Amino acid sequence: MPFTREINRLMFGMLALFALVAGAAAYWAVAGPDTILQRPDNPRRVQAEAEIRRGDIFDRDGIQLVTTALETTGSITRTYHYPAFASALGYSSLRYGVSGAEAAFNPLLRGDTTSLEFLPRFVDRLLHRAQVGSDVRLTFDLDLQQAVMSQMESHQGAVILLDVPSGQVLSMVSLPTYDPNTLDENWETLVKEPGNPFFNRALQGTYQPGAALQTPLMAAALLANYPVNTPFENARQELQVGNVNIQCAKDPARISLTLEEAYQFGCPYPFAELVKDLGIQTIQSAFNTFALENPPSLEGYIVSPPQASTQTPSSIVQTNDFVESALGQGSITVSPIEMAVIAAAILNDGNAPFPYTLLQVRTPQTERWESVQAGHTTLPMLTANSARQLQVMMEAGVSSGAANSAARIGLMIGGHVALAYVGESSQAWFIGFINMGSGRGAAIAVVLEDTSDVDLAAQIGGSILASANQYLNANPVTPQPTAGA
Amino acid sequence: MASSLDTFAIKRDGTPDTQRIERRLLLLAGLFLCVNSAGLMLVRGNIALSEWVHVGVWGVVALTGSALLQRYLPNRDPLLFPITMFLSGWGLIIIDRLAPAFAERQTIWLVISAAALVAVSVFPHLLRWLRQFRYVLLLLGILLLVGTIVLGTNPSGSLSAPQLWLGFGAIYFQPSEALKIILVAFLASYLAEQFPAIRSGILGNKSRGIPISPRVLGPIVLMWGICILILVWQRDLGTAILFFTIFVLLLYVASGSNLVLVSGLLLTVAAGIVAYRAFPVVRLRMDIWINPWPEADGRAFQIVQSLLAFAAGGTFGQGVAQGAPTYIPVVHSDFIFSALAEEWGLLGIISVIACIAVLVARGFRIAIQQERRSFLALLAVGLSLLIATQSFLIMAGVLKLVPLTGVTLPLLSYGGSSLLASFVIVGLLLRLSALEN
Repeated sequence: MPFTREINRLMFGMLALFALVAGAAAYWAVAGPDTILQRPDNPRRVQAEAEIRRGDIFDRDGIQLVTTALETTGSITRTYHYPAFASALGYSSLRYGVSGAEAAFNPLLRGDTTSLEFLPRFVDRLLHRAQVGSDVRLTFDLDLQQAVMSQMESHQGAVILLDVPSGQVLSMVSLPTYDPNTLDENWETLVKEPGNPFFNRALQGTYQPGAALQTPLMAAALLANYPVNTPFENARQELQVGNVNIQCAKDPARISLTLEEAYQFGCPYPFAELVKDLGIQTIQSAFNTFALENPPSLEGYIVSPPQASTQTPSSIVQTNDFVESALGQGSITVSPIEMAVIAAAILNDGNAPFPYTLLQVRTPQTERWESVQAGHTTLPMLTANSARQLQVMMEAGVSSGAANSAARIGLMIGGHVALAYVGESSQAWFIGFINMGSGRGAAIAVVLEDTSDVDLAAQIGGSILASANQYLNANPVTPQPTAGA
Repeated sequence: MASSLDTFAIKRDGTPDTQRIERRLLLLAGLFLCVNSAGLMLVRGNIALSEWVHVGVWGVVALTGSALLQRYLPNRDPLLFPITMFLSGWGLIIIDRLAPAFAERQTIWLVISAAALVAVSVFPHLLRWLRQFRYVLLLLGILLLVGTIVLGTNPSGSLSAPQLWLGFGAIYFQPSEALKIILVAFLASYLAEQFPAIRSGILGNKSRGIPISPRVLGPIVLMWGICILILVWQRDLGTAILFFTIFVLLLYVASGSNLVLVSGLLLTVAAGIVAYRAFPVVRLRMDIWINPWPEADGRAFQIVQSLLAFAAGGTFGQGVAQGAPTYIPVVHSDFIFSALAEEWGLLGIISVIACIAVLVARGFRIAIQQERRSFLALLAVGLSLLIATQSFLIMAGVLKLVPLTGVTLPLLSYGGSSLLASFVIVGLLLRLSALEN
């Protein structure tokens, strides 16, 4: 048969080509998952992410702040019901990632940490069941958050409110903010906005503290048994730092002031003398005690878009002079959460609570809320005696000092107002607390970037503390169980 | 008594093994299709009898076809029909999953194609007609192809897409599919007559410097050339490559000369270079074949998504309707192999390749069995090469082994003309397998 040889050759040739195809298919099937499937432009990854049913976020009273809904079209939408919470809760976007509480609790909300036995997990994967995340209940309170937003109006700045002694964050606001529901549509505009709405000022803000550092300075003075009642002549004189003249936060209407009185009115001169008298080492030691170099913060919250700046919008005056730094007009910077923790330490007999926001978790399997153990207890910042002395000073500052706008009838509110000079502008600070007795209360830090009106900062702080008092009386905070307790 | 060489008589003494083997294979195929249909139904959440129409029609076609073949071709090859039905049924499931709107048309074409398969395999004079009227048939095929230049259309309605179909109301037919078979028959019959001269021309006339006489090859080169020109005119470059390949391989079989293969390869490279410069679509396909990754979101989107589908399928696949092959444009046609990879995995891919390889190998075996009838041998070889070459081109193309050519995967891809042509090829092979040796 004339063609047999050629036919056989063709047959084996074709079989070899088919084997080549099978080999290529095997290559992509085996090597592909670790290589090309991880490409960012793989739409299957986006689809897999889009099919995850993120858990809902609740406030401390069980009000739904963020929900996930399965539409009739099969798509999943995430809705943020209260614009007041934008800066605290952050966003979750397929295109732009996660931030805020969405980032901090991302594994929980995605369902990555849901522990399943092998068989249920295998069945879920076999049937391509959507991954369902856990719901989280946070420490924030909707009413308090809305009260803060209302008080802040359109001012640029930050407020953070902590429960004492637990450290639960009751409210956290950073302005300007944004609407996470329209994030994708407005992204390009938002990242270019001069006010940096993605920047969480309460947590990330690196502010010139100005006279806000007088609180740790006063604590250093008390610890060193410095004579706080000795008057300083011409205590309200201005001091020059660079080309800025720093002065009292409010005019005390007296020339001679004790250190305690100077504290109540935020006057810098006596504190400059204090720094010189105590020396760098003592002051530095006091600052270390207050953890100014490594302050406590909320883990996992800070995720800024790469296009947005990570710097607090205002510029900071740099100086190598330690006195100037100690007066808050140098290289030392603080954040609102840091100052709120200091205020909480003062109210809590010198022990600073570690702030946290996660109260409970509800997994899709159990449908039951489980309390989360708090990771830390407290950080000792000053002695109980020093703390109580500072409490008295701060209460006096509210009752008759520069923080008088924070005063509310029948409430024991203590606070301190401060001016920080930033370039040609200045910022207003209020840090304070409300003492509800029996070691309970709330601590607050308010910073206003666009005004030097300390009365306004105090007024905002006082109103929020009054609201917190009302809320906490009706809803006492239950301490979280701690590890090993 | 007339020689069996001239009458193409079939063997009448059929063995019971043929039908038993065929029915068992069809049963297995049917079970596979039922399981996948059930899976598709569950995923869709629509538990209704209407979800079983396509598989039901397939079952009726399979049983009827098997019964008719047993009646008229009792001694046929037992593997060809079950494999054909299995692959076409699997294609039906995939099309129903990817583009349900097209599944109904594909089912109708399945019925028509199966009827054509039976008709072709049982009609007693077809083989003789293919041989006797080769010029008439080829001319008819060419005329139909020319018809697409004047009256051609595209079922999508797009005017910028190649106008390769002739439309008759709601029915579209691609003449190049019929021309494939006609050309193979033409080449087989011509080469069957001329191969002694071709072989002696190579062996006996080397002193003339021309291994193969132009006078011998002139007519087929002419006819083949006309086909190629028309296809190139119509931008059906995939089919043009297919025709060229079949021509070279059949000539190789007939001549027994390795020079034919080498020359064919060199001509292919040369044609590729010319086409790269002359045709933007060829340039595009070559560029994205060499390196698709920089343009993964643009011109190379289709091939990149195809590779992602293979990767996503892994070894065992995502499961029917559980993957995302619809990210691949035109997945139900040219890239159905990729969709199969994503949902049935490497195991599914190897199953398909194995089935096609068995189909082709059986065709070659049939050719070898026709040892004294060169026309039938060459016809069987040519038809098998059609399936093999077309399958390889598209399978290798979607895997980036070779540039994409735009041909369909026989029996699996959506396309009535392609399905019909594939079934006719198998019908012819069945007839050839049942002939007396």
